Amino acid sequence: MNSAAPAGVLDEQRRLDDLAPKLALGAVLVGLIGLAVSLVFGFIDGWAVFFRSYILNYAYVLSFALGALFFVLLQHVTRAGWSVVVRRLAEFVAGALPALAVLFVPILVPVLLGFEGVYPWSNAEQRHADPLLEWKSPYLNPAFFVVRCVVYFAVWAWLARYYLRRSLEQDQTGRVESTLAMQRWSGIGIVLYGLTLTFFSIDVIKSLAPEWFSTVFGVYYFSGCVVGFFALLAVGMVGLQRAGRLSRSITVEHYHDVGKLAFGFTVFWAYIAYSQYMLYWYANLPEETFWYSARQETPWWAGVSILLVIGHFVVPLLALISRFPKRRKNWLAAAALWVLVMHWVDVYYLVAPRAAQLHEAHPVSAAPLHVTDVSLLVGLGGLFLFAVVRLMAGRPLMPERDPRLGESLAYENI
Amino acid sequence: MSELTLAAKKRHVTPAAAAGRELYGLLVEFDDVEALKAAARRVREGGYQRWDAHSPFPVHGMDEAMGIRHTRLPWVVFFFGLLGCAAGVLLQWHTNAMDPQQFKFIPTFLQGFDFRISGKPLWSFPANIPVIFEMTVLLAALAAVIGMLAMNGLPRWHHALFGHPRFQRVTTDRFFICVEARDPKFHETRTSELLATLGGSEVERVYWPQRSPPPAWGRITGLIVLCLALFPPLWAYKMNVSLKAQPRIHIIQDMDNQEKYKAQQKNVAFADSRAMRPAIPGTIAREDAWALGTDPHFYEGRVGNAWAASFPPQIEITESLLRRGQRQFNIYCAVCHGLDGSGNGIVAKRAREKTQITSGWVPPTSLHDQTVRDRPVGHLFNTITNGIRTMPPYGDQLSVADRWAIVAYIRALERSQNARLEDVPPEVRSELR
Repeated sequence: MNSAAPAGVLDEQRRLDDLAPKLALGAVLVGLIGLAVSLVFGFIDGWAVFFRSYILNYAYVLSFALGALFFVLLQHVTRAGWSVVVRRLAEFVAGALPALAVLFVPILVPVLLGFEGVYPWSNAEQRHADPLLEWKSPYLNPAFFVVRCVVYFAVWAWLARYYLRRSLEQDQTGRVESTLAMQRWSGIGIVLYGLTLTFFSIDVIKSLAPEWFSTVFGVYYFSGCVVGFFALLAVGMVGLQRAGRLSRSITVEHYHDVGKLAFGFTVFWAYIAYSQYMLYWYANLPEETFWYSARQETPWWAGVSILLVIGHFVVPLLALISRFPKRRKNWLAAAALWVLVMHWVDVYYLVAPRAAQLHEAHPVSAAPLHVTDVSLLVGLGGLFLFAVVRLMAGRPLMPERDPRLGESLAYENI
Repeated sequence: MSELTLAAKKRHVTPAAAAGRELYGLLVEFDDVEALKAAARRVREGGYQRWDAHSPFPVHGMDEAMGIRHTRLPWVVFFFGLLGCAAGVLLQWHTNAMDPQQFKFIPTFLQGFDFRISGKPLWSFPANIPVIFEMTVLLAALAAVIGMLAMNGLPRWHHALFGHPRFQRVTTDRFFICVEARDPKFHETRTSELLATLGGSEVERVYWPQRSPPPAWGRITGLIVLCLALFPPLWAYKMNVSLKAQPRIHIIQDMDNQEKYKAQQKNVAFADSRAMRPAIPGTIAREDAWALGTDPHFYEGRVGNAWAASFPPQIEITESLLRRGQRQFNIYCAVCHGLDGSGNGIVAKRAREKTQITSGWVPPTSLHDQTVRDRPVGHLFNTITNGIRTMPPYGDQLSVADRWAIVAYIRALERSQNARLEDVPPEVRSELR
């Protein structure tokens, strides 16, 4: 290793084996309780509300895994050296994608049953009644939807597992061929990632309002995924170091870079969100603006929109723009936690309004926020955490024999 | 003995090639990076502030070794970014949303505009964001570039070290430390003693470059060029303003100034000196007759609230009137209604052939229909003037008298297709059989 590596780096704790079982048990219990409570409220408040909350929190939890997968692919495409120390953490988060594929199955239930309270186009009657849905039915029909979702999750699961497997195998063999193979696949991996994520967001989130269309929607969801992931990574890094793991390898320089990326992608998110908004606002065509009208007309939703502008853009921008907050763990963790909350509000903003204006057959209570929104956050979040921690047990938290590890340990910002 | 020669005798300093030049500073050369960094630490500990380390490539950890503080440039950039943001807001508010009525107390050229674009509100924040964003980024970026240059003292014509022969190797494989003579703690002897202990080469003296004065003609020429350079902006300033009543020199005339009288000009050939002649008393515009309603029978074919059943008194039914009516009918009306008025003009024939347009095609009325025969002449006059159903108006193409002539001719046509033997004059009856 480079002589400039942090002192004592060979002696640090690089495993979570002692904590992982307890964490995993806690997470799965919390997750299952959350799910159970939500099912109860699903019976009480109606399944339309339940599935809306499920889609909302599922999209939230999935966005971290997708952001992590993007990070892993990106580091290989760019042959990055600084990030090796934290890449394994991203590989673990992305590795939860197969578990998330299982958690996606409940969303298929209302689709296959034609429950128009969730996806209007899944119901044959609705399709016949609305000529626009009829016209879109070659794409928006339950069978094709299921096929597409199988493809998305197959691609993601394969990519995530491949990168985790190769990276872990390099811990044992130390062979550079693993890195070369991961680099070789990363290019096509990113292309597949882009296509699958775009169409996933269109199918699962945007088709809640099937009459609407937006070509930048996939990019919007993607930007949220990346912002959310970097925030989660920062929180994870601080948390692990608090628990005494990786206390030497992760240096202030790595925090600085994660903070820089979180800042940059926050601005990127705002840019994409604004560009989608401005074009529809300026043209003012009713067939396009109704989606935004639903998110502006009532005081609640207008408040949520303003909250996103201020809380998801202005506050993180000002909090992370200077170099000093990015180099102080506590400050970075606080900003990251704030961004995690705001990211939930963003996904809520995408999913909830239209889904809440459901057809008269399934009246929902007037409140825009439901118990299930929170209980399913706990439920799905707990299960997601369980999936990630289970992967962490028994494995090093850092790629110990990556050829670029030295560069990463000695990394210095200007 | 001067201190200089004393120092030279101690072999700490190479003898100056030419005494009397102003000293810039003392330079010491190193072979490797670690020596440079250690030396930099020592110099910093010595309390020096005006000095620098030079190397062919960036050296990690040099900032700490030299004690270089974090730059203030980010604050400058941030400030100018905010300034740009405010400038973007102000620019758009001034040009789009400023109501000049409320700002009459400031000079007119500073009063803004209120422009409604695309029906959006005057101050419409979503539309204003692109310009605000660009102005923020623009001023921030300019501040970064210009600020960076300014804080580095750039651009400068020359640096004293470039004149030093050994310093050329700084771009290749040597490292240097130079302490400037302007440093408050600089002392020729003590500083050179310190530098000599740093583990580098012999301490060398660097002098300010000798600047030869500019040539005598240089200043005069420069002054003249500067004065000449003032001409274009002054001329441009004057160009848009014309303080003289005389027109400007106009070299290529083309047909710009013509010998004709324009409206509102003076012409002494007339008694009232007006180039425009007033209208003849009693002249009324064509529309006025109809608008004034002086003669609805003649101009509109109306008597009271009903269509006129007789021709107006101005119209005398003579053969010449009928001939005129025939001529005008054949020109204007026969294309649709046919020469005989039965609705088989060439336009109608073509429309029937083109079956696709018969769906919207209303066939021209046959003028021999009982409906038309029953209509009073005033109604027919109105139809020609204003059109009816899909027939366009012809009032702009035919004078009032001509329209009455056509009406008279139509009556004649109708009679021609519905005549009895008794209507034919006796002398011509034989020709019929």
